[in-house]
Amino acid sequence: MEERLDSVLPEGVETAVRSDALEETAEREHVAGVGPWRLAARRLRRDRIAMGFGMVFLVLVVICLAAPTWATDVAHTGPLKNHLTDTVVVDGERKDVVSLDGVPIGPTWQGEFFLGADTNGRDTAVRLLYGGRNSLEIGVLAALITTVLAVWAGLLAGYARGFTDAVISRSLDVIWAYPVALLAIALGTALSLQGLQIGPIEISGESKLIPILIIAVVYVPYMARPLRGQVLALRERDFVEAARAQGAGPVRIMLTEILPNLSSTIVVFFPLMVANAILLEAALGFLGVGVRAPEPSWGNMIGDGVKHILTGPHLAIVPGIMLVATVLALNVFGDGVRDAFDPRARIHLEH
Amino acid sequence: MTIRRVLALAALGLLALSACGEDDGGGRDALQGSRPGGSIRIGTVGPDEYDPVLYQTIPAAQALQPVYTGLLTFRHVEGAAGAHVVPGLAEKVPEPTDGGKSYEFRLRDGLKYSDGSPVRASDFENTIKRLLKLAGPYSSFLTGIVGAAEFQENGDFGADIPGIETNNRTGEIRITLTEPDTKLEFALAEPYTAPTPAAKSPPRSLNKEPPPGVGPYKIEVVDPNREFVLTRNRHFDVPGIPKGNLDKITGVVMDSIPRMTQDVIKGELDFMTEDPAGDLLPLVRQRYQDRFREDPNPPNTYYFFLNVTIPPFDSQLAREAVNYALDSRALVRVFGGRLQPSCNFLPPGVVGYEELDCKYGDPNGGADLEKARELVERSGYEGEEVTVWTSSGDPWEAIGDYYRDVLAQIGFEARMKALDQQLFFELTGLRRTKAQTGFTSWLQDFPHPGDFFEPLLGADALKAEPTLNNGFVNDPHIEEALDALRGEDPERAAGEWAELDDYVVNEKAYVAPYGNEKTSTFFSERMDFENCSGVHPVWKNDWILFCLKE
Repeated sequence: MEERLDSVLPEGVETAVRSDALEETAEREHVAGVGPWRLAARRLRRDRIAMGFGMVFLVLVVICLAAPTWATDVAHTGPLKNHLTDTVVVDGERKDVVSLDGVPIGPTWQGEFFLGADTNGRDTAVRLLYGGRNSLEIGVLAALITTVLAVWAGLLAGYARGFTDAVISRSLDVIWAYPVALLAIALGTALSLQGLQIGPIEISGESKLIPILIIAVVYVPYMARPLRGQVLALRERDFVEAARAQGAGPVRIMLTEILPNLSSTIVVFFPLMVANAILLEAALGFLGVGVRAPEPSWGNMIGDGVKHILTGPHLAIVPGIMLVATVLALNVFGDGVRDAFDPRARIHLEH
Repeated sequence: MTIRRVLALAALGLLALSACGEDDGGGRDALQGSRPGGSIRIGTVGPDEYDPVLYQTIPAAQALQPVYTGLLTFRHVEGAAGAHVVPGLAEKVPEPTDGGKSYEFRLRDGLKYSDGSPVRASDFENTIKRLLKLAGPYSSFLTGIVGAAEFQENGDFGADIPGIETNNRTGEIRITLTEPDTKLEFALAEPYTAPTPAAKSPPRSLNKEPPPGVGPYKIEVVDPNREFVLTRNRHFDVPGIPKGNLDKITGVVMDSIPRMTQDVIKGELDFMTEDPAGDLLPLVRQRYQDRFREDPNPPNTYYFFLNVTIPPFDSQLAREAVNYALDSRALVRVFGGRLQPSCNFLPPGVVGYEELDCKYGDPNGGADLEKARELVERSGYEGEEVTVWTSSGDPWEAIGDYYRDVLAQIGFEARMKALDQQLFFELTGLRRTKAQTGFTSWLQDFPHPGDFFEPLLGADALKAEPTLNNGFVNDPHIEEALDALRGEDPERAAGEWAELDDYVVNEKAYVAPYGNEKTSTFFSERMDFENCSGVHPVWKNDWILFCLKE
């Protein structure tokens, strides 16, 4: 599986200044006095499909956040609790959660084991919700870390140019040269075994921080490179020259003059980055190097479910549906955000 | 031994007799309905090592035993008779002399390796030196040879082992032990003691290019993690050992047992070294009865190891708590119904097995979680972080998760670490890993109770890295008992072995046993299941006996 976050933003001047583009568009739309952010929000609200899928995503988030409530008050179990020898009453009939020959119960459509159980007798619905929390948490945190790293890399490389640019750009090229999934799998396999130690900070191999950091790092070049291109153009603009003439230092110029002009690109990138991070996490989980068992994630639930596809197809299908729904919702919403902020931009994802 | 097991063994014996008759001679006549020759593909999770002195797992033993014949060997027949030791490269099974401390062998005339070079008596010493020098998993079985322990400690490969005297001219090999040890003749029947040419067997791992051996087949490792091929060894001609029915056996290494099962169902593979995945097992049982069987072979024991050198299982109370907390009924489900619950460490079918009066309750009944919690509290380790180590294969991960859940219920802060199978065995056997507890199992190497106690609980096993004594048990009482029983005929000392079983489980709780697995044999439609299932008490399935339908 090859994923590529492909921004084909030219590194030229005309694509650099998005706020200008938005202002021009605002003028064309005869809404003088309306700021670019408000204008984008207005456009986004009008895009019913994007808003609809945005709502779907929100609903999924809320459902996943409600996992503890469902587990405690409805299913009366936790995501890691085994029920191998337990029984459950379904339609007045008492049934084994897992039969003697190891086949788990299917969906009961009631509070306990609503979506059935897995081979360890764990409640699939509860694990699905907790798995969703983990997948979303990893997706969002990884995208945040990617964004922070990519913005800094792009700012430094683009503004400083010369040696700093060469070092940062070549480092990004090294990461860029590897297919995302392969690099993530290699890192995941190595780090899940021994964990990660950075100075005094030690992260165990089972920690969720491992897949978060891996996903965050492998996606940095895909965001940092286009940002660097924009910074290269922005640093030549008059307002940057003016700030420099007023005695502003490089850090201040980067933070107060250039960064605000990157904000719309960052906003456009973010939901797409989250979707991609969730997908990559699922791939890692499926291969056993993402969220470590027994902690659930949609990826490792699909991986476990595939092993039992004949006797328990729901084990793979249900998390698969949740994953598709989440990524689809984020992608369509992300496209809407892109169209709202800059209809001419061609930031898109290729899977 | 249960009636069911007696019947099963009797049936196996009858089957073996009917299938093989008196034919354990040099060749094998084509059986009615089967044909000689042909090639098959075998699905396997892979030998952990292709070097005969370094392997550890059953899939490795299955692949290597047709290639490496020892001075002695096990009868190549199905059923219980396969547990008998018969001459291999040696002319006969010697009677020990000097109070059971000395064994004298003479190599058969004209023996050749698969590369055509002659077998020399000194090659045997080279094999034993490699086994000790490389600290192979089974090296502890040979440290009873005079000078072997010192050789292993000194690490000088050029040094001599005084307890092995060889004469290349006459083919004589004399082995002298420090103490009598009846296990020796069983160990000498295994591939890890089989002679390989000294010139091609340096003291390093030969995993990618295993040395030539003497056996019906020779091995070529195409890629250790993908494929290996056994083809006929045209130099092999040892009376009493069949030459094998098939011309070529290709081992296809794969991780996915469901895929392996599907491939056997479809006929893309002809046999699988593993048991069909839990998910597919009911289907295979139901639809493919004509080419599927389950046997209690080879005798095996499943247990959780408890590292007695570090918290929390340096406390006997904590170890007992685990034993009280295990519910074999749950594990039966994880095994897809293939587990026979037991609280013995020794499995049924091994000399010395006597069903224990289990201190921790009926192994077929439920767990006593309250008692377990109380013991954990008394141990002072309540809330202690415990990592359960398990392999990521199916059903090991599920077993590990069940165990993690049990530990969490009785008061530990339990986590699980699931690793690739090879890494799992390697890491849990290293002291520096500090693995507290985890899944492990043992399938009999040879029919001797010492085969269970010595590698898994003996102090000598701790010299190997990685060791199989994952609990790092080093108990003077066990050592004393093992010393006393080594030279005894196991049949005559069965009572003492049973007492040791009781000591390990009931008195000290060094391990947390929960049962014995019934293993399965599943063939493709091409294979002659009726005549050549090859079910063997030592190797699980003897590939030399496999054949195709006519």
